[in-house]
Amino acid sequence: MSAVPAWAGDEDGLPAQSFAHPSKSRARRSLPGELPPEVEQAVWRGCDLGHQTSAVISSGFAGLDAELPGRGWPTQAISELLSPQPSVLEWRLIGPALRGIVSGGGAVVVVGPPKTPHLPGLRHTGIDEKHLVWVQVDSPAERLWTVEQLVKSGACGALVAWLPQARPEQIRRLQVCAHACTGPVFLFRPAATQHESSAAPLRVMATFSVDWELQVHVLKRRGPMHDGVVRLESVPGGLGSVLTPRLQRPSLIIASRHPGRDAARQRFTDVGTVKGGPVHALGSTASTDYAGRLGRHAPVR
Amino acid sequence: MLIEVEASTRLFGGKRALRDRIVQEGADLGVTSVAWATNGLAAQALARAGIENGFKRPLDQLLDALPMAALSAVHPYEGTLQRLGCRTLGDVRHLPRGGISRRFDKMLLAALDRAYGVQPEVHKWVELPETFSARLELMSRVEMAPALLFGARRLLLQMCGWLAARHSGTAAFTLQWAHDSMRAKDAGEGGELTIRTAEPSRNLEHLCRLLAEHLAKVELKAPVGELRLAATEVVSLEEKSGSLLLDENQTKESLQLVLERIAARLGPERVLRPVLTDDHRLEWMQMWQPVPKPQPRRGIDPDTMPQPTWVLPHPLKLATRGHRPLYQGALHLLTGPHRVEGGWWHRLDERGGGRMSAGGIPEVDERGEGASDSACGAADQQRTGHVQRDYWVALSEHAGVLWVYQERLASDETAWYLHGVFA
Repeated sequence: MSAVPAWAGDEDGLPAQSFAHPSKSRARRSLPGELPPEVEQAVWRGCDLGHQTSAVISSGFAGLDAELPGRGWPTQAISELLSPQPSVLEWRLIGPALRGIVSGGGAVVVVGPPKTPHLPGLRHTGIDEKHLVWVQVDSPAERLWTVEQLVKSGACGALVAWLPQARPEQIRRLQVCAHACTGPVFLFRPAATQHESSAAPLRVMATFSVDWELQVHVLKRRGPMHDGVVRLESVPGGLGSVLTPRLQRPSLIIASRHPGRDAARQRFTDVGTVKGGPVHALGSTASTDYAGRLGRHAPVR
Repeated sequence: MLIEVEASTRLFGGKRALRDRIVQEGADLGVTSVAWATNGLAAQALARAGIENGFKRPLDQLLDALPMAALSAVHPYEGTLQRLGCRTLGDVRHLPRGGISRRFDKMLLAALDRAYGVQPEVHKWVELPETFSARLELMSRVEMAPALLFGARRLLLQMCGWLAARHSGTAAFTLQWAHDSMRAKDAGEGGELTIRTAEPSRNLEHLCRLLAEHLAKVELKAPVGELRLAATEVVSLEEKSGSLLLDENQTKESLQLVLERIAARLGPERVLRPVLTDDHRLEWMQMWQPVPKPQPRRGIDPDTMPQPTWVLPHPLKLATRGHRPLYQGALHLLTGPHRVEGGWWHRLDERGGGRMSAGGIPEVDERGEGASDSACGAADQQRTGHVQRDYWVALSEHAGVLWVYQERLASDETAWYLHGVFA
């Protein structure tokens, strides 16, 4: 009985019998405080990103994909995208994801946009006239009804809707309906709603900077809190073909024209680092490094 | 009711189980007697006599013992046969055949032969009418139009059955309602509602929901007592064969169906699809048309020039400070100018429409009007879609990347307009 494990303090040794052979278990047992590897794999830690049970649509940005559970926009669920102003960055943010959906034959249905969608510009994100439907809605009730019908049918390749006035219980209802929806459902909402509770499993706050960047902060996801912002390079509407090297950094031009506002600009571009969170540039190596560091530090928080 | 079950006994778990089920479920539907035999006439005769099992003994013996009234064909001659001394079917059968065929109808012998299984049974095919029209008297007077749906659903169910039997679908159907006789003088006889579907369908649920959307807008002038449903346009429909496996795609509605339902409530002019047109002026680069309209087969070659992804319905005149436009702060002009000029040939009529507004979409009309307000060549009364603009990509720290243009006004003045957003 020399092989009785040290932690089996009681005399009869019955607990040890219920495991594998004592000598074998000692050989494989890991250090105190660590789990055996097979257990380790099966345990989901709060610091890891959650698994997405449904399929995901890649957002088209490697930096953003690294922060989203399942590495992409979820399907069978709604995604809330918040921005301080409507009609400023919508297509820049979801355009790369829509390109894949449209090329797969899915239709993009736009419900209640703040301005008129302009197809010649949308063609630069891969949307063509056969795969775009615009539903004009006026009242909030019409908006909700239309979105719910489309979500329930599950027939859209992607549903893009503006719901500025929806209440939390209405969002919850949509989320329940969205379980049948095979495409992603993007709800654009004002930034003020970030303080409301929401049933959407993914909430993203998006702003932009003048240097052809989107700054995305994940407010809510299945996984740990997201610190800082993800910077995504995004040049809208085919402008990439006409940008001169000088125009790649418009912030420098603005600063040269308004020297007094240099300090303000500095604050503006460095907002991520000031807040203390690690900021990473666009690129896969930087993002994986970031995820690894986040994973190690998160349990302490 | 006659059911031929020989081929399906295995499916239902044997003759005994099938019999039990029919007896049990038939009782709920008001069936009073059930009988089994090798042919329909014999089974009918046995059922009338109250004998259930026609297989217990040879059919001849069973039928011989039945009273004459059990067979409908004997009924007209019952009196004569009784006076001849016949009491049972067996007595009739044993009469000389030549005599029967001479003295009575030919049908009598034929019916006897069929019941006894000497001749095969022949059934007439049921032929459905060429057109469908059904009426239903409502159980109670209905005062609200949406409540008509309960009655209409029963009619729709009949129609879908008729359509399925004819292998066709309906592209349009009409629901008529007749007002109750106790009605106001000005209410009229009734009303009707014709519903067209985007594609032929015999899907009951879809037709019901479509009808519900239309009924929600109807206001009844008087209580309704009777409904009538007619399939006005019927086209043959190729049926997709069903899958044995549960296919996800089949359980869901197609996009066309759900858009049709949305259009039924919001109005067809609000569910739109874009069509590119061959024009370089921003207002006329695309037009919007209702979804069911077919799109032009000839596509426009994609323009590789940068274009905004949102446009404003009317260009927004911007304030300026030191010859620079302002929109949520100072705008920084990045690239340009991109000159767009032309359209003097494009005459806008008084209603503000142009040749592009043939689809009757208000959106196009509004934009046409907005453009002509800013058109500089509108000195005379005839307004044209003439534009002369220098477009610039402007950057704002708050409003994003904008598509603004500068337009020459009268007497060498210029004005800046915001026209689109690169969102």
